[in-house]
Amino acid sequence: MRHGFREPWIVVFWFLAPALAGLALFRLVPILIALVGGFTGTKLTGETIWVGLRNYERLLDDPSFWNSVRVTLLFNLVVNPLQILLALGLALLVFRPTPLVPFFRAAYMAPMTVSLSLTSILWAILLEPTMGPVNGLLRAMGLPPQPFWRGEDQALATLVGVASWKGVGYWMVFLLAGLLLVPKELHEAAMIDGAGAWQRFCYVTLPLMRRPLGFVLVADTAANFLLFAPVYLVTQGGPNGATALLMFEAYQAAFTYLDHGRALAVSTVILLVIGLLAFFELRLLRERGA
Amino acid sequence: MIPHACIRFGLAVMRYSALVFVATVLLLPIYWLVLASFRPAADIFATAGTVSVATFLPERLTFEHWREAWSGELPRAVANSLFVALTTVALGVTVNSLAGFAFAVFEFPGKRLLFVLVLATFMMPFESIVIPLYVLVRGLGLTDTYAALILPEVASGLVIFLFRQFFAAVPKELYEAARVDGASWLQIWWRLTLPLSGPTIATASLMLFVHQWDAFFWPLVAAPGPERIVVQVAIARNVTLEVANWGGLFASASTAILLALVPFLLLQRFYLHTIASAAER
Amino acid sequence: MAGLSRRASLAGVAATTALLATRPLSAQAKTTLKVIWMGWPEGQVKPLMDSFRTARPDVELQVETIPFVQIFQTLEVRLGARTPDPDIFICDSPLTASYAARGHLMDLTPHIDARRFTPSAIAAASWQGKIYSAPFGSSCPVLFYNKKLLREAGIPFPEPDVAKRWTWEQLVEAAKKLTDPAKNQWGFSFEQQERPYMLLPLAQSLGGVALSPDGFKATGYVDSPAFVEAYGFMQKLYTEWKVSPPGLFDPNLPVEQFGNGKIAMLVAGTFNEATIKNKYPDIEFGVAPYPRFARGKAVTPTGAWHIGVNPRTRHPKEALAFIDHFMSHELQVLWFELRPYPPVLKSVWEKEAHRFETDMWRIVRYELEHTAVPRPATPGFREYEDILRTALRDITTGADVAKTLTAAAQRIDRELEKYKT
Repeated sequence: MRHGFREPWIVVFWFLAPALAGLALFRLVPILIALVGGFTGTKLTGETIWVGLRNYERLLDDPSFWNSVRVTLLFNLVVNPLQILLALGLALLVFRPTPLVPFFRAAYMAPMTVSLSLTSILWAILLEPTMGPVNGLLRAMGLPPQPFWRGEDQALATLVGVASWKGVGYWMVFLLAGLLLVPKELHEAAMIDGAGAWQRFCYVTLPLMRRPLGFVLVADTAANFLLFAPVYLVTQGGPNGATALLMFEAYQAAFTYLDHGRALAVSTVILLVIGLLAFFELRLLRERGA
Repeated sequence: MIPHACIRFGLAVMRYSALVFVATVLLLPIYWLVLASFRPAADIFATAGTVSVATFLPERLTFEHWREAWSGELPRAVANSLFVALTTVALGVTVNSLAGFAFAVFEFPGKRLLFVLVLATFMMPFESIVIPLYVLVRGLGLTDTYAALILPEVASGLVIFLFRQFFAAVPKELYEAARVDGASWLQIWWRLTLPLSGPTIATASLMLFVHQWDAFFWPLVAAPGPERIVVQVAIARNVTLEVANWGGLFASASTAILLALVPFLLLQRFYLHTIASAAER
Repeated sequence: MAGLSRRASLAGVAATTALLATRPLSAQAKTTLKVIWMGWPEGQVKPLMDSFRTARPDVELQVETIPFVQIFQTLEVRLGARTPDPDIFICDSPLTASYAARGHLMDLTPHIDARRFTPSAIAAASWQGKIYSAPFGSSCPVLFYNKKLLREAGIPFPEPDVAKRWTWEQLVEAAKKLTDPAKNQWGFSFEQQERPYMLLPLAQSLGGVALSPDGFKATGYVDSPAFVEAYGFMQKLYTEWKVSPPGLFDPNLPVEQFGNGKIAMLVAGTFNEATIKNKYPDIEFGVAPYPRFARGKAVTPTGAWHIGVNPRTRHPKEALAFIDHFMSHELQVLWFELRPYPPVLKSVWEKEAHRFETDMWRIVRYELEHTAVPRPATPGFREYEDILRTALRDITTGADVAKTLTAAAQRIDRELEKYKT
């Protein structure tokens, strides 16, 4: 962002116009409508009425909203760092193209070709308490079968695991692309200086990776805050609210409880939380890099 | 020297063990799924709860589910999804890289605010904007067209963000030199930045491709007619409340997975190519 | 209604104008009806639609079949936009009141001759004394049992006779003998382990009532002693007697396990008879009526898919013609052949009597006439169903029954508040 080129506005305009026009029309306008919708209610007849802050006041009084906030924060506190560390580890693991590594790279990307709803159904079957192959494996090894999705204290951890199964390969791709963009000369120069692998990683690779890392941090945070397919398809927020993510709360308000004002209020909260986290994540990386 | 070689050998063994372990965890579920698509309907769940040789190597195989899936609407759905996804990739890489380039290279008033707005577009739950979006697309007369599936997904805040972050890796001095040589900014973007950004373009294409390949809810809302059925909808049609054609589900899902793997394999070659050329540099 | 008939007459005028116009123009003016349909296999949808196309070549049908997982959401978006699109949509019968209250269903009372239908179908289609959805199919679960497993355990078969209906107490005793953890074999399961549809009769058998008569209050109903007792019993199937497999997340999975001989007895919808026969031809199974509690009465669930007309449609005449066609005897017979739901037309039961001479259909016919209770008619059925479903799911995993039901009742009341105007 520092010292960019200053050009006549018309040049900048033509670069930005195609994408921003699309974004404005198909995203920003609907978002604006949604933000305003958070201050309205819908009458049965479909009439929209202004209710001011009432949707938000009702959220603050609602224990199920606060449970969702708690579950969502807990989930993200674990899943984001975990996915990024694993993805970074995998990217480093497959960075050097020694024999067979191309095969492993492709293998790690395979789960991202499985759609989210299919991932949910697949893992619902694999982790079924009585007929799932994973419990079959545990039984064969003489271990007690686990409830996974159906256990109040295991469901959220299961969600973290399944989200990571699908996610790590995806985020690895971006980090790998970032690593590939680090000029080779820098690595070689550092090697001649006698720097060890760890030092090279910390002082050469990591600083140059801060922009790709920034992207992955923000994109991963957004993806995980917006995740809800497994909750919708498998756990329905249960058992006992253990997997009631905010996004599921918003979805249910909109499509089951037909309470659009509430749904949009929850969505606004989600947007603000992701935005705030993204701001801090980018800030953090910028200072580290400077 | 021998201890050193030993350490290197040990490290390589550890590295490959880790590679194999991770690959097993990530691939085994997919293997189970693809295998299930070849099992006779009655066998799919028969062996699921108890693990034996039959779990990994089925006793009976059938191509029935595949034949059935492929004689239905799946080929049409695959063709539609491919068309939608590839068009989105072509358009999306172009417009988003232009915008990402502007954010990475230029300095202009209101840049910060504009960038925040771009970021906000991928932080809002899609489900909460789907009704206004549907009203809009209907108002434009686009329902039940390919345009309804493609246009709203071309411009992507996330992809702009990706380009903006990765374009920064191109040294500014190169731009200055090109400007001195009298190149226009469009030429610089096309002849300098894009050729240097192979992996970035490849990953951006993947993002757009996967996004459209996985599209499910929006196609049902915007273009649910049988002529424009997309692949995820064709897959989901196998399971209803009352009858589940698990074999059909797994066969069509395997088709979707294996086809989507192709771009990833292409990406592989692309990466190798980039590394090779980086080494030559 | 005034606005509707004006629109109807406007459409009539438009149609007449089109007819009076030159021939090529009238060919262009072919009316298009947009239909949102359940994602049943193509072979069960196309013959029905083609039948209408043959009868009304002047009407173009554009049919959109939506997969089950997304059908309600898709309908919410499409109807929520409040446009004339779609003209006709498939409507889950208990949602009739919900759509009607929000102005998404045309009043079909003048158009439907209630005497032609079974009373339970009309009850499921009605709200506040009016018929809002056209009954298109009904449903009735029965008890399927695996003859071989029962024989091996020395258990006499439950009889296909409503007078000798098994009690739940009897069923549990049998299920205990049929359960063998070592073989991953289970005595009993519901097809739909957590859906109120299949489970409400447990409480109703003990005298429980699903919702207040006006359809707005759950406290005092969902948390009543009958509910607590019934679902306490259901919980023990999983936690104490351990005769039911926990956590089969998809209602299709218990059927697979029944077919694989891993579940000995299964309460499930009639359509499963065909599924089991086709997929698992080696399984020898029998059919008996849905059980009741020893000190309770027999109650069975009912209701299924109906058809609704969007009141905003620009082609009300053609849409009503569609309804007429789909309510005709011939089409209902065709539908039964394609997908054997219990018919809603009395004439199908009477004229096609030879099709219903089996144990299963004799039971179903009796249940629909005597024991079937439709789900509560409330505009807030979606909310009711979802909250109760979550509660039932939590109860199967061991949550405190009374507390969970009380909390659910309060939450339902809170959600139903918005419909009281």
